[in-house]
Amino acid sequence: MNAAAIAALRLLGGVILAGLVWEAAVVGFGIRPHLLPRLSEILAAFAVTPGAYWAGLQRTAAETLIGFAAGTAVGIMNGVIFFRAPLLRDMLLPVFIVSQTIPVIAFGALVVMWFGNTLFAKAVIAFYLTFFPVTVNTLLGLNSVDPRQVALLRSFGASPRQILFRLQLPMALPQIFVALRLGASLSLVGAIVGEWFGDNTGIGVLLLQAMYNESVVALWAAILCAALLGTGFYALVAWAERRIVFWGAEQ
Amino acid sequence: MGMPVSSSPSPLLELRGLSKRFGTVQALDGFGLDVQPGEFVTVVGPSGCGKSTLFNIVAGLDEPDDGGILRFKGRGCHAKELLGQVSFMPQRDLLLPWRNVVDNAILANEIEGASRREARAKALAMLPEFGLAGFETQYPHQLSGGMRQRVALMRTFLFERELMLLDEPFGALDALTRSMMQRWLLDVWQRHRRTILFITHDVDEAIFLGDRVVVMTARPGAVKLMRAVNLPRPRAPDLLTSPEFTAIKREVLDAIEEEAMKSFISGTAAPP
Repeated sequence: MNAAAIAALRLLGGVILAGLVWEAAVVGFGIRPHLLPRLSEILAAFAVTPGAYWAGLQRTAAETLIGFAAGTAVGIMNGVIFFRAPLLRDMLLPVFIVSQTIPVIAFGALVVMWFGNTLFAKAVIAFYLTFFPVTVNTLLGLNSVDPRQVALLRSFGASPRQILFRLQLPMALPQIFVALRLGASLSLVGAIVGEWFGDNTGIGVLLLQAMYNESVVALWAAILCAALLGTGFYALVAWAERRIVFWGAEQ
Repeated sequence: MGMPVSSSPSPLLELRGLSKRFGTVQALDGFGLDVQPGEFVTVVGPSGCGKSTLFNIVAGLDEPDDGGILRFKGRGCHAKELLGQVSFMPQRDLLLPWRNVVDNAILANEIEGASRREARAKALAMLPEFGLAGFETQYPHQLSGGMRQRVALMRTFLFERELMLLDEPFGALDALTRSMMQRWLLDVWQRHRRTILFITHDVDEAIFLGDRVVVMTARPGAVKLMRAVNLPRPRAPDLLTSPEFTAIKREVLDAIEEEAMKSFISGTAAPP
């Protein structure tokens, strides 16, 4: 069996152990279900209406992924443009920073007014939280490329474009992935907050419904969904990082 | 002082009165050198004497100050016209960590637009000569320092240019690996017949490898001594203890000593 499979098994064991401790603690210490329900009760809630949770998970995942993908693409593009045009960077980067000081709640309300209760509106909020860290880290990564390395490629007669694609962008990847891991968590937050402004499906909707119904079990079920999505997405990005930046931050 | 410059009709590279100033620092001042086709010229000098500035100019990376003459293949030119015309190997191997041995070796060919498949085939055929057979799919972080240096050298050789600039290529290697690499380089050079300009700190290395040793003055860099090395090739390690070798070494060391003292007295605060 390979190391990855063993690690996965260990993780699974840990999750099961934590679940058992949860269950045993609630029963053993007689914790009132109003404060913390038994895990088995929450899992039973999934079993009753699996469709609602599955639909919510899919919807929120779609919003998160679209926003994240767009934020990554635009962030990397911004980073490259700012790197190539320092004047533009000096003019626009402060504007970007100001835009990030607007609380996501205020911004969310605005976006929903602009785009309505659509999937797109939520993706825009996820995008808003992702593109900035990616921009900054791309710029940072591009700026930290060893100038001797650039000189070497220039001596081979490389054009600025060749230097960008064959040297600078790949060199910046470790830095970019730091932002992507951050963006993976932030884009999910953006999507869930976006759903609070009105929608019919999604994890954020499930959270709100559970709160209004004062159903602690449903609330925990929604929380578990969000945790599952968040961890899964983060793990996916971390996995991609290990595959793509296999050499690590060697230099 | 030094030997008369050989008067062959068409040197590959001609430098006359080359100067370069960075702010208040005069790095080069009136540097002159001719390099004949097929010649192996080594450059030694105290640290901070402008050797790297010289190389950056010949590689096309820096423009010399007005007034100097730079001719390549008999034609006067700006330094930047030499970009892509000279095969340059900097001090560090500067391999790209996401490329394996073969793909690192063909980087320069790829940039000039050669077919990847052809370049790879050529590199694969060259691997044994560079002691890298069987390592084609390894990545730089899996290689020893000596092997990484050989990959960098292979990249330099694969970029087939008449003039090769090697900037202390063995500086970071241990003494044993270093002397093995020196003999190996001579071997490869004799087979491929390129023109090499080679910077080093090591006087033994300069004499052992070169047809000619150029000693530079302390900053600002100029030519202090030009010494032909009329030792037979192929050269074996026992050459290092022969009286002819020792005589040349004495001469070169004296010149360096003088310059090192000068730079020590005049510029104790000057950074390298």
